[in-house]
Amino acid sequence: MISFADISFLFRFLPVFLVVYYLVPAKYKEYVLILGSLIFYALGEGFFVLLLILLILVNYSFAAWSFRVKTHKGQEHIDKVKKICMISAIEINILVLLTFKGLAVFKDNSLLPLGLSFYIFKMISFQADVYNRKIDRSLTLSQAAAYFSLFPQIAQGPIMRFSDGDFGYEKIITREKIEEGLRYFIIGFAMKVILADRIGILWNDIKMYGYQSISTPLAWMGAFAYTFELYFDFWGYSLMASGIMVALGFDFIRNFEHPYASKTISEFYRRWHMTLGSFFRDYVYFPMGGSRCSKPRMCLNLMVVWVLTGLWHGNGFNFLIWGAVLGILIVAEKLLYGKKLEEIPVLGNVYTVIIICLTWVIFAINNLGDLGIFFGRLFPFFGSSGVVNTSDIFEYIADYWWMFVISIVLCVPAIGKLYEKHKKSPVVTVLLLVLFWISVYFSVSTKGNPFMYLHF
Amino acid sequence: MKKTPLIFAVIATIIVFELLGIVGYNNIYATQDHDPVKEPILARVFSAINDGIYPWDMFNEEKKAGIVAEAGKIREKEEAMKLKASGEGADTASGKEGTDTAAANGNADTSAADGNADTSAADGNADTSSKTGEAGGNGTGVSLSSDPVTLEKISPTATPEPTPTPEPESIYPEGRLEPLRESTYDEYINHISADIYGDTGVLRAATYEFKKVGIDYFDDALFIGDSRTVGLRDYTELKDHADFLCETSLTISKVFTSDFKGKGTVEAALSKKDYGKIYIMVGVNELGTGTTEDFIEKYAEVVDRLHELEPDAKIVIQSIMNIDRERSTSDDIFNNTNILGRNNAIATLADNKVFFYININEAVCDEDGFLRDDLRGDHLHLLGASNEIVVEYLLDHGV
Repeated sequence: MISFADISFLFRFLPVFLVVYYLVPAKYKEYVLILGSLIFYALGEGFFVLLLILLILVNYSFAAWSFRVKTHKGQEHIDKVKKICMISAIEINILVLLTFKGLAVFKDNSLLPLGLSFYIFKMISFQADVYNRKIDRSLTLSQAAAYFSLFPQIAQGPIMRFSDGDFGYEKIITREKIEEGLRYFIIGFAMKVILADRIGILWNDIKMYGYQSISTPLAWMGAFAYTFELYFDFWGYSLMASGIMVALGFDFIRNFEHPYASKTISEFYRRWHMTLGSFFRDYVYFPMGGSRCSKPRMCLNLMVVWVLTGLWHGNGFNFLIWGAVLGILIVAEKLLYGKKLEEIPVLGNVYTVIIICLTWVIFAINNLGDLGIFFGRLFPFFGSSGVVNTSDIFEYIADYWWMFVISIVLCVPAIGKLYEKHKKSPVVTVLLLVLFWISVYFSVSTKGNPFMYLHF
Repeated sequence: MKKTPLIFAVIATIIVFELLGIVGYNNIYATQDHDPVKEPILARVFSAINDGIYPWDMFNEEKKAGIVAEAGKIREKEEAMKLKASGEGADTASGKEGTDTAAANGNADTSAADGNADTSAADGNADTSSKTGEAGGNGTGVSLSSDPVTLEKISPTATPEPTPTPEPESIYPEGRLEPLRESTYDEYINHISADIYGDTGVLRAATYEFKKVGIDYFDDALFIGDSRTVGLRDYTELKDHADFLCETSLTISKVFTSDFKGKGTVEAALSKKDYGKIYIMVGVNELGTGTTEDFIEKYAEVVDRLHELEPDAKIVIQSIMNIDRERSTSDDIFNNTNILGRNNAIATLADNKVFFYININEAVCDEDGFLRDDLRGDHLHLLGASNEIVVEYLLDHGV
């Protein structure tokens, strides 16, 4: 039920929650939101909800301590106490994150609570914002609890900032806002269920038959299939999450801005998972000096940010390589050829799409031996040592061509503009309605199967 | 409605689909599984579409009657099994353990079969057929409807035969084995594919002297199968010799209805060319559906029909390939215990004259019966390159 595409979430949890949320008076909505979020998390993660509650209390306590510092002892004392509060809270948060990540690596993957990386990052940004006085002393426990536990964001973000939530202010909920949220939700739902989950089967097939047995064209097709799967899965999920948030009276949180239309890798990551990118920028890169320092120091800052980004994404060594490669490319763009790529039309786009696709391959394959084999199939300079089905590409093209066409079209920014222009037209409304029910159909027909690969 | 047409349209269509679900609840949607706590009634409308049942079929009296009849059969079966389960409970309580099953099966040694099923269920993983044989399926209780070919040979540790009693005429065709017992209600509702035959069929099939053959042997062979056979087609030289009708998610009930992505039906293929051998491997996709009895009934129907359409062809039933350790020990449905129950069932179809049974698992599994880690591409499939081992096995097991 923890997935928004799950039929029991769509037709049981969400409608019941929304009805209660809309019916209760404004001053109680925050409590309904906290209760609903904790129930949602407990339904998916059981006792780990206790960890979430504990972390909420710990983080609020440090913030409250920071606000209660005696002002008559002077600014220096205030700053010192606030700093101690922030650093202690952040250390605890990081320790919890590392402990569970460690348990996942060395013991069992199921010991990593769902969404831990996301809500810990919210907690870190919260502590930094308390220290920087972006959050004022009117903060209440219920506001902090609502912010940390928000069920639309708990599993996969977006990593919203506290100030973006307008906590403490009465939420203005109109039918138009609910409609707006519903539109975002349906678009995200369709992207995930109709596109990402289905194109992902191609990547799964390739894994199943073994990288050593695929032809070079299929290796490229598979790499792009994974590229699109990741994008539409994540963008779709972010749209569903933000759609629900809008329907609850919050502002829309943008997490993707047509990244595949970027001309450089740096630009790509300003437009991809934007809330994570801005987190690292504001809470790691800038405090380290950002780009307002010597070039070697800037390069170091960038490499630190990207290695951390890699480690945040997963436990495998491949994530470290992935982060490091991106760091090197971004440094190279800053120092060498970034400007040129932006100036020459098309070249930058082609460069970005191909390089990003190749880096997603590193992201996807966590066994380094397999990674080597896959790159050997992508660039078959040394031939192949396995049984290769040279005609495999044709069957896959016949099955998947339409998904690639839709994926490519959706990567063009003009489509977004076209939608914004016509989103209230009857044609778009009917289209969204049809997409909703097709998505429900896919969700029902693959129920209980998070991997989509039920049929063998 | 003007300002928020989408909300209105979504709510209106939810009501329409809910009504459709309610109206069709006892007719066109009668065969759909539905959990009213977790899902709205409209989920039935969509799961039915997945089964090829559309809302407008409500006006198709013939189709509707067919679905209602099927639902009636399922209900009857459920009730009969429930009744039997409660009867067995009462019998056990009054100390008459096993007599009902024995009477129903027309054979005596049900305790061996029960022991067998219990053992395999308790293991929760894959026992190889020989191990299960040791566990209790030693074949002593199995009766052949006729042609008692190799019973002595295959039951070296035979226990004394019970005194023969007059039995009703068997419903099983000549040479086919009868089950030792029926699936229980618990097995039925928990999707456990009971091992109702033991390994007698497997052992009888293994008495056939398979011969080594060359690759040209497959020039007149047709392979029918699911995604596992797709791998065999795509990654071995067999595709240059044999014909393949295979597709992902094929089940035994779809063998004659599928058109294999436009390549044509099995019937069409058999009418175009005379095949000398027909190889079939299906069964993993429908593990969560029906009982072992339902599966073997359908399987027998399919292989009999194949024989009818191609009387001169030898039909080679391939065991359902086992699953790897990780999946098999963690999945209630897709596990090797369930596969074993079904493999032991289909093996009984082998008469070693027209129908043959070969156990591919001998080639691709470890000593515990799990799909070997070094050969698997995922939990259920071989790597493309590993299919070569299957080809070698097939070359060693010509019929």
